[in-house]
Amino acid sequence: MIVRIARRDLLELFRDGRFIGAGAVVLMLLITALAVGWQRQVESRTERVVAQKLDYDDWLAQPERHPHDAAHRGLHVFKPEMPLSMIDPGITPYVGSTHWLQAHRQSEVKFRPAQDATGLQRFGSFSAAWILQVLGPLLVIVLGFNAFTAEREQGTLRQLISLGVPLRRLMAGKALALGTALWTLLIPFGIVALIAVIHGTPPDQRSDAGLRLLLLALGYALYLGIFVGLVLAVSAFARSSRVALTVLLGLWIGIAILAPRAVADASRSWFPSESRRDFNARLDADLGERYQRAWNSYFGDNAGTPFGYKVPLSQWGKALQIHDQAGYETMDRHFAALWNAYARQQIAQEWFGALVPTLAIRAYSMRIAGTDFDQHRAFSVAAEHHRRRMQDLISQDLVTHADHRGEQHFSYRAGSDFWRQIPPFEFHPADANQSLSDASRSAAVLVIALICAWTLALFGTSRLSR
Amino acid sequence: MNSSVNISSTPMLEAVAVTREFGANRALDSVSLAVQPGEIYCLLGANGAGKTTLINLFLGFLEPTSGEVRINGRDVTQDGLATKRDVAYIPEQVMLYGVMSGIENLQYFAALATGEDLSRTALLALLSRAGLDESAADRRVGTYSKGMRQKVGIAIALAKNARALLLDEPTSGLDPKAANEFSQLLSQAREAGVAILTTTHDLFHAKQTGNRIGIMRAGRLVESLTARDLSHQDLEALYLRHMAAQP
Repeated sequence: MIVRIARRDLLELFRDGRFIGAGAVVLMLLITALAVGWQRQVESRTERVVAQKLDYDDWLAQPERHPHDAAHRGLHVFKPEMPLSMIDPGITPYVGSTHWLQAHRQSEVKFRPAQDATGLQRFGSFSAAWILQVLGPLLVIVLGFNAFTAEREQGTLRQLISLGVPLRRLMAGKALALGTALWTLLIPFGIVALIAVIHGTPPDQRSDAGLRLLLLALGYALYLGIFVGLVLAVSAFARSSRVALTVLLGLWIGIAILAPRAVADASRSWFPSESRRDFNARLDADLGERYQRAWNSYFGDNAGTPFGYKVPLSQWGKALQIHDQAGYETMDRHFAALWNAYARQQIAQEWFGALVPTLAIRAYSMRIAGTDFDQHRAFSVAAEHHRRRMQDLISQDLVTHADHRGEQHFSYRAGSDFWRQIPPFEFHPADANQSLSDASRSAAVLVIALICAWTLALFGTSRLSR
Repeated sequence: MNSSVNISSTPMLEAVAVTREFGANRALDSVSLAVQPGEIYCLLGANGAGKTTLINLFLGFLEPTSGEVRINGRDVTQDGLATKRDVAYIPEQVMLYGVMSGIENLQYFAALATGEDLSRTALLALLSRAGLDESAADRRVGTYSKGMRQKVGIAIALAKNARALLLDEPTSGLDPKAANEFSQLLSQAREAGVAILTTTHDLFHAKQTGNRIGIMRAGRLVESLTARDLSHQDLEALYLRHMAAQP
């Protein structure tokens, strides 16, 4: 019975042109967005790999020089492009992908942790993910807004009820029709996406990328399933197709357009994060104090300010070592506080996903794609660890080879043997299982929203015979 | 009149002291009637007399404020789905899917009613029995006249092979030929033991096809008569008297 109902609904969707019209537009947009994403990813991946190699080759090829000069020259590290970023670029376009690892300070190049713009939440750029998140629900609305109201308006609902068709089966049939229509459109896109992802992914990462794509598909199935339930519920409650369409378009604007921005702004007021200027000011003040204490502790209370004229050159390497290491804990604390504020904002938004599913799917999609803030944070932490490793090696080299030269400290020159002691940067992003674990909260929220939407649909359907 | 009414069995359609109120308005007031297998019960009455409300109660579209509505001995309110298996419903305006053809509509509704996918031959035979020309079967219902839709509705009822028929002014708007064909179909159904409850404004049709005739006024069943005991003139006079007495 359910299949028969679904078949008839599909026939009507096909014959009245909605399926072909709306579906073709969405499918075309999806394929276009994927093509754009694929091209961007291929170019970006190539550029990053080449740039990373060139930069490290330059590091190795630099002439003999004082190691601290080399520390200021620094290294550039590039965040690897995730295979599914062609579908969901996440926050990458807004936080950058390059760190400049140089002396004294944690890198902020292109990553602006305290930027006071809409930051993490303003990633609504044209991508396949954005189309699915924003236009996907609109497609469900166009296909299903009159699922029940049309039956009521043309009188066929009474005919169906009089035949003894159980209302829940009627609802299931209509849900199956909507689901089939959606998957008929999305499966071709999924196949194209799979080919693109596999083609754009190194062989050793393909199984991971395939698993991510499957998880992404499941997430979007949940998300669109929520809207199928919601659309059926509204159609069951509404007295006419016009009312149903008006209500649903209002909900769509609220859920997919307005609420995500409003909740993002609200989450920043609940869990405030500093502006970049304030962040830097507080960090600098704290670092200055910390450096001074470490300085005095080693060189005595009369040693003056760090790297002032009183530092004997015979201890210049040691001073550098003390200075750098004194700041590590402070930088960790400040960045952790800032990032934790972002994380709390993100968690608040994810929980709101039960009411505004677009927030939940955004979070889920980014996490599964590996383009979320946690991934970026992990990359930033790895880059900073690499920087510290480089600084510590350089300071130790100065202590070992330059400090004993006394006034001739700066005559010391390190060469290629030392440059090679600094290893190339490597970053291993979380695998698909870890990403799924990270996305479990947003997945749970999607399931909660799904249950709510379908409960509402069942309730609305049960009232149809009245 | 036929003699196949089985008065010893459980009534196929039964209303027991049924009252239905819409706010302060009492649409039905303690109505009781029973329709046996093989019997046609025609309900007459002015618009708003409560005829359609009674049909809606049998279909479970409404619940009685008090009293009980039963189909084949089962309470419609308690056992809605099971009772619908026994009945077919033909409204005044048979509502079908306009983007589908007559045969597609029949195939769909018949499949939902019976759980079986009937062959094209069987579907065409049903449409033919209902009086629909085969050449119209594959046309979209959106192009059908009211009478043609009615015939598809009849074909759906035939496909269901129901034990009871609920008809809400089924011949309204039909041309005389179609109305006569419809009466013949009802007679065939009665011969087959189907219990039929039909509302109508057509006194001639009621006298012609019904075993019993009820007259409703302001939500009450004010007369319940045996058709064979009445002449057309008697029925008309009685009906007009009740209508004149209407508040």
